[in-house]
Amino acid sequence: MSDGKYDTEVKLVLQEVSNADPAEVAKEFERYENEFLIPPRDALRSVVRKFMEPGSDADKTVSQPAIVAKKVSRFSELGSNDRNVSIEVLVSSYNSRLQQVRGEERQIGFGFIEDSPWEGERTKWEYKDWGNKAQDLLPNSIVRLEGVSVNEWNGKKSININQTSRVSVLKEGSGTPSVPTSEPITIEQASKGESTVTVVARVLSVKPDQIIRRDGSGSIDVVRGRVGDQTGSIGFLSWKALEVEEGDLVKIENAQVKRFRETPEINIGDYTKIEPYHDGAFPTKDDIQQESKSTIMNLRDGMRDVEIELQVVDWTVRSFTTKDGESREVRSGEVQDPSGRCRLTSWAKVDLIPGSFIKIQNARVQAWQGSPDLVTDGPDQIEVLEKAPFGPIDSSNHWVTEDLDVLTSGGSRRGISTSGRIVSVRSDSGIILRCTKEGCRRVLRDGMCGEHGEVEGSEDLRLMMVIDSGVSNASLLVSREPAESVIGESFQEITERIRTSGREPFMSELKERFLGHRVTVNGRSINDDRGCMIQAESLVVSETTPVEIAESVIERWGVVL
Amino acid sequence: MTFSNPIRVGRQSAIRVFAHEYRDATLPEQGSGEYDPGFMVTRLGAKINRALIAGTIDSSERRESESGQSFRFNLIDVTGTHRVEVSPFNPELHPEAEEIHARFERGDRFIMMVVGKQRSFTTEDGGVFTSYNAQEMREINSQTYAEWLAETADATLRRIDAYEKALTAEQSMAGFRGAGIPEDLVDGMLLSRAHYPDFESEVYMLDVLQALNAALGRSVEIVNRSPEPVPSNPVVEEKPPQNIVSENGSAMSLDDLIISTIAAGDRGEGVDYDAIIRECSVHGHSRQDAEDAIDSLRAVGGRISEHKFGWFRLTEV
Repeated sequence: MSDGKYDTEVKLVLQEVSNADPAEVAKEFERYENEFLIPPRDALRSVVRKFMEPGSDADKTVSQPAIVAKKVSRFSELGSNDRNVSIEVLVSSYNSRLQQVRGEERQIGFGFIEDSPWEGERTKWEYKDWGNKAQDLLPNSIVRLEGVSVNEWNGKKSININQTSRVSVLKEGSGTPSVPTSEPITIEQASKGESTVTVVARVLSVKPDQIIRRDGSGSIDVVRGRVGDQTGSIGFLSWKALEVEEGDLVKIENAQVKRFRETPEINIGDYTKIEPYHDGAFPTKDDIQQESKSTIMNLRDGMRDVEIELQVVDWTVRSFTTKDGESREVRSGEVQDPSGRCRLTSWAKVDLIPGSFIKIQNARVQAWQGSPDLVTDGPDQIEVLEKAPFGPIDSSNHWVTEDLDVLTSGGSRRGISTSGRIVSVRSDSGIILRCTKEGCRRVLRDGMCGEHGEVEGSEDLRLMMVIDSGVSNASLLVSREPAESVIGESFQEITERIRTSGREPFMSELKERFLGHRVTVNGRSINDDRGCMIQAESLVVSETTPVEIAESVIERWGVVL
Repeated sequence: MTFSNPIRVGRQSAIRVFAHEYRDATLPEQGSGEYDPGFMVTRLGAKINRALIAGTIDSSERRESESGQSFRFNLIDVTGTHRVEVSPFNPELHPEAEEIHARFERGDRFIMMVVGKQRSFTTEDGGVFTSYNAQEMREINSQTYAEWLAETADATLRRIDAYEKALTAEQSMAGFRGAGIPEDLVDGMLLSRAHYPDFESEVYMLDVLQALNAALGRSVEIVNRSPEPVPSNPVVEEKPPQNIVSENGSAMSLDDLIISTIAAGDRGEGVDYDAIIRECSVHGHSRQDAEDAIDSLRAVGGRISEHKFGWFRLTEV
C-alpha cells in the first residue's frame, strides 16, 4: 500500500540501514501513522531503530557466535528453541511459590502474560520467572522482556524469564506483587488480583460438586462454597475433601485466587492448609450474608451464589426443541432494582407477575451480549416477596444516571444514563452494509464479512462516536432507531440524501451536530478488555446552559468570585 | 480475557486545560516503549496526551515544506494562547484548515474547538515549547465556548485541589491516594512534584475566576477581540501611567514591572511570555494591558527583545 507517500522518510532510513527493504520500511511508517498516530517524521528514530535491530542483516556481517536476539511482537512468531527473545507483553498475573532448586529454596514466579499489549487481539501464554523480577512484573503492567527464552513441554510453549533477562516497565501495573505470606488479608484484598493468599473467613455455604472432564475420561469430586468476612464474600473451589461446615470460622493458608470470567474464586489445592480459627468478634454468618446482598449494578459475569431483591418488569415463556429432539421451556424477563436493570432467566417453571417483587438466591450471573444477566435453575431459588423492598420505580423511564468515569471502570450495565462531550465522529458513521447470512449482522468491509466472506449486504444506519468526560472516554454506538430520532430523519430519507448529494455533506452535518457538543445518552455500557462501549437507546444534545454549568462548578468548589 | 482492574491501553481522554497551564508545562514524558503515548505533564499534574481546547483564532499561517503543506493557528482563551498545528500528515483536516485560513486572511475571527494531541519541542538550552497537533476541529459558537470555559474551570479546580493535597501528602502513589487525589491525577502529580518547584496555585485560580466570569456572561472578552492588528505605532507616552504599589510601598509602573520581571527571571534563556503576563496579573494588571505594554516595550521602546518566539530578554545597552 505504499504509493510513494513515505519516500522522504524511507530514504532517510535507508541511509542508516542500507540493506532494509524499502517496502517494509514504508509499511512500518504507514503502521506508525495509521495505528500509532505518529507522523512519519516523528516515527523516524523508532523505525530506524527497528530495522537496525541485532540479528538483522546489518548485524550478521559481524561474527557473533552468541545467539542473536530475536525481536517479536507476537507469541505466534516464536519457535520452541528460541532464546534471547525480546517481546512486549501485558502481565495478567504474577504468583509465586517457594521451590527447591538444586538443593536451595528459591522463590519462583509464575503466571500469565499476553502478547500485543497495546492493541489488537491478544494471546495468553504462561511464564515462569526464575530471576526474581516480582517488582517489575506487577499484574496489569506492560513490560518489555529482553533475553527471555521459550520453553516447550507436552506440546505447550511458555516463556522463561531468566536471571540474566531484562524487564523494563513500559506502563505501570496496579497490583501489588504477591509474595507467599501466611499473613492473612481481607476478602476484599484477596478478590483484587490473582495470587496466592491467606485469609481468615467464615464459611457461608459448602456443598459437594463434580467437574466433568472435557475429554470424557470421567469426573472429579470437588467442593464448592462461599466464605466471607466484614469486607465481602468470595466463592471457593476445593480440589480436596473439606471438613468444614457452614458457619465455621477458618484460616485458609496458601490458596490461589483465580478468575472465572470476571469473578474471583479461591482455589483450595494440595498445598492449601485449612485450620479452625478463633475470634469472638468475627461477624456471624447472618451478618455477612446480610451485607453481601447484591444490587444489579454490582453484578459481574461469572458470579455465583448471588442473593438479590428485584422487581419484575415483564415475564415470558419460550419453548424450544433441544438437539436431542426434546421439548423444553425457558422463562425470562426484565427485572429492575434502584441501581439498574437486567434480565433474569429461570430454567424452572416459575410464573412471575409483572410488577411483583422477588428475592432470588444462589443465582448465577452469565453475560449475554456483554451485559451480566441473572440465571436461576431451581424453583426454590425464587421467592415472591409480600412487601416491596424498595420504593416504586417507573420502569418505562428507569435510567440510572451514572458518571462516565464510573461506567468505564466498572462492569457492564444496562439501563444507564450518562453524559460527556463528543470528541470524535468516526468516519464509519452513516450507511453501512451488514452481512445477510442468518444470525449474522456483522458490518461488511469492502463487501466482505469477517465470518462469511463475500456476501450481499443489507443497508443499515449507525453512528460511531467517542464520548469523553475529560477523565475517561468510551466508544458510543448509536444504532438505527436512536440515530433516526436524533437526526430527525428516517433511514430512507438519509439514504436518499447520501445517494443524491454524497457522503461528505452528511459527515460534515454529523460533525456540526455532535462534535464538541455535550450529549446525554440512555442505554447500556459494555466493558471488555478493548475498553468501554456505550450502546445508545436514545441520545440528546444537552441543553444545559453555560451559566448552569458555571454555577454548579462554583458550588462544587466553593469558589468566591 | 478479563482483568481485575481493566486497563485501557486504547484511547487517551481529552483533558480540559487552559492555555496558561499547558504553556507553563516543561515536562515531556515519553514512555520507554516504542509505541508508548507521549505526554506533557503540567505543574498541576495533568498528564496530557490529548486535550480539548477552545479559543478565538488569533493568527493563521500556512507553510509549505518538503513533507507537504501544514497550518498553524493560534487560539486565545481567557488565559493565553493555544498553538495548534495541522500537520502535513493529517490531510483529512486540510480542507477545513484551508477554509479557516482563508477566512482568517479575510479578517474573519471566530471561536474554534480543537481536539489536539500534545507536541513539544525542547531547545538546546532546555526551553520547552508546547503546542498541539489537531485531530478534530470546528468552529463553535460562544455558547459552546462558554460551556468549555466552565468545564475547563472545573477540571482546573480539581487539579488545584489535588495539588494542594499533594503539598502535604507523603510523596508516593499510596500517599497521594491516601490524601484523596483522584486516581487519574496520581501519576501526573508525582511526576510534577518531582520536577517543578513549589508554586502558589493562586496563579491558576486567576484563570479559573476569569473563565467562570466569562461563562457567566460577566465579561465582554469572550468573542469579539479586536480583529485589527495592534497599532504598529502606538505612542507610549500617551498611555496613562499605570502605577501600582509594590509590597515595599513604592510605586512601580507596568513597564517597570515587566522589566524587573525579566531582569529577575532571566537565567540565560530569557523569560517566557506567560510568566511575564502572570506576574502582571498577580500585581493587578489586566491581561490586555500587560500584552499591550510588552508589545510597546518591544516594538517602540526597544527595551526588551523577543530573541525567540515567546521568550524575552532585556536589550543590552
